[in-house]
Amino acid sequence: MKILVAIKQVPERDAQVHIDASGTWIDEAGIQWALNESDAYALEEALQLKEKHGGEVVVVSAGPERVGSTIREALAKGADRAIHIDCAMGRLDALGVAQLLAAAIKSESPDLTLTGLQSDDLGYGQTGVILSELLGLPHSSLILHVEKTEQGLTVKRELEEGWFQTIELPLPAVLTIQSGGNKLRYATLMGIKKAKTKEVRRVTAQELGTTATPVVSLARISAPQKQKSTQMIGGSPKEAAAALAEKLKFEARVL
Amino acid sequence: MQPARRDDWTSDHVWWLRSPMTSTLPVLAEPQHFDLAEKLVFAGLAVGSGTLFWRRFGPILKRILASKKDPDFRLRPLGRRAWDFFWEVLCQAKVIRQRPLPGLAHAFVFWGFCAFALVTLNHCAVGLGLGFLDPAGWFGQLYFYLAAAFALLCAAGISGLFVRRFLVRPRWLGEKLSWESGFIALLVFLLMVTYLAAFATADTSEAARVLWWAHTLCLLVFLPIIPHTKHLHLLLSPATVFLSRGGFSRIPPLAGDEDFGLVAGTDLTQLVSLQAYSCVECGRCTEHCPAANTGKVLNPKEIVLGLRSYLSELGPASAESLLGKYNSQEAIFQCTTCGACEFQCPVGIEHLPILIGLRRGAVNTGAWEDDHGGKLFLALERGSNALGMSATDRDKFVQKLELPIFDGTQEYCLWLGCMGGYDPKGREIIADFVRVMRYLDTSFGVLRKEKCTGDPVRRLGNDLVFQQLAEANLEAMALNNVKKIVSICPHCVRTIQEDWKEYGTPPEVEHHSEFLARHLEQLPKIRGEEKIVFHDPCYLGRYRNVYDEPRAVVRASAQLVEAPRSGERSFCCGAGGGLAFLGEETGERVSHVRAKELVDTGATTVGTACPFCNTMFRDALATKGSGTPQLLDIAQLTARALPTVGPSSAN
Amino acid sequence: MSGVWVVLEERNGKIGRISWEAVAAGLKLGAQLGLAVNAVLPGARTEVLAAEAATKPLAKVVRLVHALLGAYTADGYTIALEQFIRAEQPDYVILPHTYQVRDYAPALAARLGQVLIGDVTALGEGPTFVRQLMQGRLSGDYRHAGGGTCFVSVQSGAFRADQIEGGSAQVESFTPTIEPAQIRTKPGEPFRGSAQTVDLGSAQLIVSVGRGIKEAENLPIVQELAAALGAELAASRPICDNGWLPIERQVGSSGQTVAPKLYLAVGISGAIQHLVGMKGSQCVVAINKDPDAPIFEVADYGIVGDLFEVVPALTEAVKAAKQ
Repeated sequence: MKILVAIKQVPERDAQVHIDASGTWIDEAGIQWALNESDAYALEEALQLKEKHGGEVVVVSAGPERVGSTIREALAKGADRAIHIDCAMGRLDALGVAQLLAAAIKSESPDLTLTGLQSDDLGYGQTGVILSELLGLPHSSLILHVEKTEQGLTVKRELEEGWFQTIELPLPAVLTIQSGGNKLRYATLMGIKKAKTKEVRRVTAQELGTTATPVVSLARISAPQKQKSTQMIGGSPKEAAAALAEKLKFEARVL
Repeated sequence: MQPARRDDWTSDHVWWLRSPMTSTLPVLAEPQHFDLAEKLVFAGLAVGSGTLFWRRFGPILKRILASKKDPDFRLRPLGRRAWDFFWEVLCQAKVIRQRPLPGLAHAFVFWGFCAFALVTLNHCAVGLGLGFLDPAGWFGQLYFYLAAAFALLCAAGISGLFVRRFLVRPRWLGEKLSWESGFIALLVFLLMVTYLAAFATADTSEAARVLWWAHTLCLLVFLPIIPHTKHLHLLLSPATVFLSRGGFSRIPPLAGDEDFGLVAGTDLTQLVSLQAYSCVECGRCTEHCPAANTGKVLNPKEIVLGLRSYLSELGPASAESLLGKYNSQEAIFQCTTCGACEFQCPVGIEHLPILIGLRRGAVNTGAWEDDHGGKLFLALERGSNALGMSATDRDKFVQKLELPIFDGTQEYCLWLGCMGGYDPKGREIIADFVRVMRYLDTSFGVLRKEKCTGDPVRRLGNDLVFQQLAEANLEAMALNNVKKIVSICPHCVRTIQEDWKEYGTPPEVEHHSEFLARHLEQLPKIRGEEKIVFHDPCYLGRYRNVYDEPRAVVRASAQLVEAPRSGERSFCCGAGGGLAFLGEETGERVSHVRAKELVDTGATTVGTACPFCNTMFRDALATKGSGTPQLLDIAQLTARALPTVGPSSAN
Repeated sequence: MSGVWVVLEERNGKIGRISWEAVAAGLKLGAQLGLAVNAVLPGARTEVLAAEAATKPLAKVVRLVHALLGAYTADGYTIALEQFIRAEQPDYVILPHTYQVRDYAPALAARLGQVLIGDVTALGEGPTFVRQLMQGRLSGDYRHAGGGTCFVSVQSGAFRADQIEGGSAQVESFTPTIEPAQIRTKPGEPFRGSAQTVDLGSAQLIVSVGRGIKEAENLPIVQELAAALGAELAASRPICDNGWLPIERQVGSSGQTVAPKLYLAVGISGAIQHLVGMKGSQCVVAINKDPDAPIFEVADYGIVGDLFEVVPALTEAVKAAKQ
């Protein structure tokens, strides 16, 4: 089974983000980068499928040179080879990114393409779904578990409020993987050493022949007005309880 | 009795051996004339015995030498090695100190063996007609009497040890009775008896001959048995002690791209092999092991013997996993790295590098699959601390305490560590230590960002993450111009001072107990009536040899009470070796066992000097119900004597 | 171009509250830009639901009807909506940001050469669409460039459905052409996670109890709150150690790690071993009588008080709010 995993390098969870001078993105100086969390689960799912059914796991990632370290991490965890789409991500919208990925993936003709559900920085959650559209393949999203069958795949999809659903679909297909479905494997020294000998093919956006003009643009970013601080709710137990219920319903929106 | 003329070549050449002493003291009898047949039989038996000995010892020696060379081994400086040899081997210091009575008995046996060196040589020479020590000569008499004294002590010693093993039966020696030990005890006893009895007969008597042959047979039976049993330590342990790595828990660096730790036989180095074959099965390591004492699978003695079995059956060229038939993965991940085993070992076995080496082999190759372990590694792969908390949490704490940021101009960099930065209890300790430093007007600052020193991953054997952390931290040290660190956590101190050395030059670092002890003069003291039992942290005591400083701090505050197992013998709290981050233990909880011991001293306060010990005891003491002792770090003890200025540090 | 069209989503035989919130968003946008606001409802049997939708102040409600839209499939919905949108040429398509919408809307937009602006929390001048970045640490203002339909999905709770007034809309139907072979995925029946095993890891709402509860006999107070919220019950270590709750319910470093939308900690002080197990929670509420308890450091909302009074009151308040 040839499985392609699209991975993204995002700022580390802990990173202190400052808005840059232009006000349209964050200042990347001094940021520590890491593999996007749900992409790590996608990679894990791919590696487990390879361990079960044989084949090859190829990772593809778009971004500038720094993306190389995340690609190496994926190779260290067990991916067989990688494609690095060397480009600046700046102005691209979700469709633009998906177009780049689709161009790189098409020539590989994988049986299965996996992406994480959404990225930790922009959080669109669309790349995988658009990718399936561009590749003309069936897809499903929010997947926790993948099983290969005679006819194709049976997957477990997460629904709202603790419900799940099984979906059957043929191969080739595209899936977006939700975090938490598997236990992630940690990167090992042995893996890192082996990764040094694995192939990383570099392509540029021009070579892939895509020139995307964005349909949607991020005009401005700002720090949200409310800083996360503890709201202490006072009053008698009854008053406090009522106030809390109101906040849970309308502010936190969890009721 | 007339001293008889000697029929030996030396007496013609070394005149002083001939001078007879006019005495009526008994003289050691030596049979005079062995006829050719007897000499040939003796020679034949000796050769046979020697051959059998070599048949077994030779391959062992070969296996040890065929093992991989230790990449970081340096023979020099010889001073430390010579001292260890003198103190631990010749003086039997560790043997006696850690188990006084049995140790002394063993020392007598050992010194007896040493004293008998010339006796035995001469004895065998006599059998070939080449005896060179005149028992009637003044040197001979002196020497043989000295040897006789040792023989008495040795016989007494070996008898005592026999009684201990077969009648008293301490559980450290294992369930099964060791008949080979009994047999060897018998041989040693007979050797001494046959020697002593020879004083009561004459050279010419038949008895002398019989005694001589009895003694000889004991020797010739003993020799080939040596390499077949733990008595191999007779030959190996002096070398083992001399060639040991030194230090304490000295983890060797990995050598080259193919080295992942102790994975298979090919990874066992000469030192490890030598140590495995030196094990004398005394069980001192097991006796003090917190895991072995709380019903876990781990038994340090069995780890070493497991390697010995592996080497004997598969050899150092085998590619089969070291964790399989002879040792289990489960056992090695129950170790808290407290070091009680390595500290006790009288023959120089260094258990910690072996254990951590085995862990490395499992972790660096991904063979270890553990939910909590994986989570810890992933947390440190992606984040800055072992707890997986967001760094902004630490920032909030730094702001709340208004801690100055280290900018290269202050004297000390106060290292918060993961516990000091994120654990509520750890933060209390930091807050109080900061109060003390402010009182003393010490110039200090904290780094804006800290990454975990890497202690848990280092002890669990993950060299990839450890390297990343060590290198990132060393870079930050250089960037921020950090020269001196003070930390509340002995794990951080150890890792910074020793383990970071593998990747660069760490700054000076000291533990806050050392800082506080040095400044005691300037600090107000309470010296109350309260009884405080101080628990020595493993990484401060055994690892760093710091026992007095925290005690000085405790004494400045109240009455110091010692737990039954304290100082070098301190019993681990259970958090070390990365175990604080792993899941639930099997068997009894180590922390509960230790907490009970501390509570039973009757102290009203438990004093700690490590945030991990603090956290473990907090949980353990909480289950004891009302009337449980307070739990305070030495920083908190010191701070409570300070005049209250501003808001209380208590969180 | 025909104004604003809101895509309604059927959930368990009803139009979910989040769809009405999307309608609220659509109405706001329509008012801002002076555009007509309509709704489209995909499905197989939607007469009753469409009638309900028609009671909102919308211009038109269109039933997008086809047998193959009875069970949700990405292909079915994408094909049907594509045809509808090509026919109607909306200026804006507003969708509720549900798992279902996330599954098809990006593909739908891409098919029409557009990009969905998803999970919007506010509308601004322009119009600009505001969404959260970096897990809520930053806000981004998005604009739609160029012509064609602009697709927007709105976050649950961002717009208030209870403020929509009454109205009356015209109900129409539109039947798309869908061949069975075009539906490439086969969806199964939804099912719940196994009732036997406790899966705190995937629970969305958790009520967690700590030593403050004092005795096992007091647990029902907290259990009622959990039931009222529809939440799973969890506990800190001492509760499980004492055997008051099974070990599977323990949250902490040696127990489960949870990341629910709501974590309500009752009588829990917040030791580090517990915090590491629940720090991924989106919204943390703490009820504790000790104002210095560390749990308040990580809480979004806190009540310092006697849990034996606060918790029953909260149970009542929650029941009332859910109606």
